[in-house]
Amino acid sequence: MLLKLAFTITALAYASASFLYGVYLVRGSERAKQWGARALWASVVLHAGLFALELDQLQGLPAGDVHQAMAVTAMATCVVFLALSRKRPIAVLGAFLTPVVLLLFLGAGVGRDVPPVPSPVRTFLLPFHIGVNMLGLVAFAVAFAASVGYVVQERQLRSKRLGGIFRRLPPLDVLDQLAFRSVLTGFPLLTIGIVTGALFASRLGAMDGATSMAAVLSAISWVLFAGVLLLRVAAGWTGRRAAIGTILGFVSAVTVLLGYLLRGSVIS
Amino acid sequence: MSDELVVVGLSHHTAPVSLRERLSVPPDATEEQLRCVLDTRVLREGMLVSTCNRVEFYGAGPDAEAGLARLRKYLHERGHPEPVQGHLYERRGEDAVRHVFRVAASLDSMVVGEPQILGQVKHAYELAQDVGSIGTLLDRCLTRAFAVAKRVRSETEIAAGTVSVSSIACDLATKIFGDLSGRRTLLLGAGEMGEAAARALAGRGVHLVVINRSPEKAVRLARESNGEARGYEHLASELVSADVVISSTSAKNYVLTHDLMKDVVKARRQRPLFLIDIAVPRDVEPRVGELPSVFLYDVDDLSQVADQNLAHRQQEVEAAAAIVELEVAAFERWRRTLDLTPTIVALRGHFTNVMKEELARTLPRLGELGPTEQKSLDKMCQAMVNKLLHQPLTQLKEGVEGGNGAALLEATRRLFDLDELAHEAAPTPEVKPTAATSAAPEAEPSPEIPSESMGMPDGEAMTERPAAALGGLALGLSPTNLSGEPK
Repeated sequence: MLLKLAFTITALAYASASFLYGVYLVRGSERAKQWGARALWASVVLHAGLFALELDQLQGLPAGDVHQAMAVTAMATCVVFLALSRKRPIAVLGAFLTPVVLLLFLGAGVGRDVPPVPSPVRTFLLPFHIGVNMLGLVAFAVAFAASVGYVVQERQLRSKRLGGIFRRLPPLDVLDQLAFRSVLTGFPLLTIGIVTGALFASRLGAMDGATSMAAVLSAISWVLFAGVLLLRVAAGWTGRRAAIGTILGFVSAVTVLLGYLLRGSVIS
Repeated sequence: MSDELVVVGLSHHTAPVSLRERLSVPPDATEEQLRCVLDTRVLREGMLVSTCNRVEFYGAGPDAEAGLARLRKYLHERGHPEPVQGHLYERRGEDAVRHVFRVAASLDSMVVGEPQILGQVKHAYELAQDVGSIGTLLDRCLTRAFAVAKRVRSETEIAAGTVSVSSIACDLATKIFGDLSGRRTLLLGAGEMGEAAARALAGRGVHLVVINRSPEKAVRLARESNGEARGYEHLASELVSADVVISSTSAKNYVLTHDLMKDVVKARRQRPLFLIDIAVPRDVEPRVGELPSVFLYDVDDLSQVADQNLAHRQQEVEAAAAIVELEVAAFERWRRTLDLTPTIVALRGHFTNVMKEELARTLPRLGELGPTEQKSLDKMCQAMVNKLLHQPLTQLKEGVEGGNGAALLEATRRLFDLDELAHEAAPTPEVKPTAATSAAPEAEPSPEIPSESMGMPDGEAMTERPAAALGGLALGLSPTNLSGEPK
């Protein structure tokens, strides 16, 4: 009962932050921006409290299954974003990032009655595998928000409708660099996550349909991010195409997680 | 009763430039002009704002009507022989405060939201401070006006977006590239507007490259902006390496064609390119704007952006005006407490004096009392005064803050005959008729009343004329318990 209440309050806090950042994006209210950041900090604190309540149910690290991993990812994404926005003029990206965070948090609360982790994969590598995947996802979430910002900003510049949203969004170059650095950080983590995931898959033997689908989507994410990085580094690509590649890569990575949730499976 | 604020002036709203020119006052003549209008009986404080769009006198004095008449007469004389009548506007009291706040917040400017006016008003305030013509009321009004201007700029988008072609070009470049320092800007041709835009960009630290049919002009402009001049044969390579291109040639046909730019974009590997076509007829084929990572803006686009920015500023005026209204109300609440302070000081002084007199009469009859007993007795009497005054002073304060203070104050002064007592205690000193002494620039925060007890905005310390000017009644009062809070 207490857990449910704490979960609901935390979800409402995330939803409030998301709403306030949305108001700031559309209306440009400085108060909405300030309160959005406060609401997000409050969400993080509440979320930490929720973890504390769940401690007795955790299996070691607060990342024992895919639900907890998603919840930690949501919280870590907020902390990273709030830290980044202290030094950069990117607070408005909260409007794109916080809905994703809310989705991850709500997803983490769906179908908590998961089957136990199969013994072949219950090794010291499991938290490592989940940990790197989580960190990778945090980096990709930031890259995603920056890329959505890029696409929106570029569209406004091309259409020459330079309203309030245009004024509030950061310069294209800032968004491009933020997306690039985030992908550069997340990619090695994703690679390690896929390699360790393949190791577990080999231990479990034959994969079922959903696991195969997740593996395929993971591979697609990896290929998309690899393509974005390769084109940037080798061919000097910047801009819209790189932004769209990043968005697709992130959507694919999140789909993997949601896929696991829907089938009620464990770990990625 | 306290002084009242007045404003008399003319601006671009009411007067042609010829009249504004005639009445404008250069900074070095400000002191002389201020001394002309200041008068301790009519205007004790004064400040002059003179810009290309407005000439305004702000003043404060005990007789607002006479103050307005004095300023009106002065401006008539300065405008002679051109008639000033019909071009002047006058504000007093709350309207004057509103006007000052609106001017500082750039709501009254020709281009709403322009940032210069705040600096100009600040400069005028500093000049008046140097002259010594800023007193309690103007000081408070102006410092609040600066805070209001800041609040309006941060809480609304009144100053968002620029409205000149050069600054729009700079802003757009900044929105694409972020920091412009070191970015390569190619100026193609050297038309007047192109040159202005290039100079504005050079001011933001870009590296300027000039290509022009007349090499002399290109070299001159490049030298002025610490850039470099290149020959026309380098056009294609410069287009590949540039971040911003400003084109303003007088060519009859397109200089930057779709075919040329297609190759350029390919060679640039998707790197963003900001193309500003200021030429008429246009230099850049319109289809170039459809190429990936190319942002093409021609003169019409830039004008359209300017119109959008102006329209957006106008939309924000309402929100800004609402902030001004809130601040005017807060200022008025504070101003009303100015009427309250002398009465509180006098009332408390009266009670304390009675207490001291009675104590002095009674103590000898009590025989030998030790210092501890005397101190206790003194404390007891003080506590009685505090308790007796607590309710009346609270009611007075609430009445004044609620806007119904005048009758209460008058009744209090008559009930206790405070004006007569004040006269007996210390006659108000004659103020010398010089600007330096007529105002009260050295006014210190009132030691008698804590600011929180006066309901002042932002918890700022209230300033007031020295006690002597209040009738010298603040005799030996505790700095903390004037409001009569029971201990």
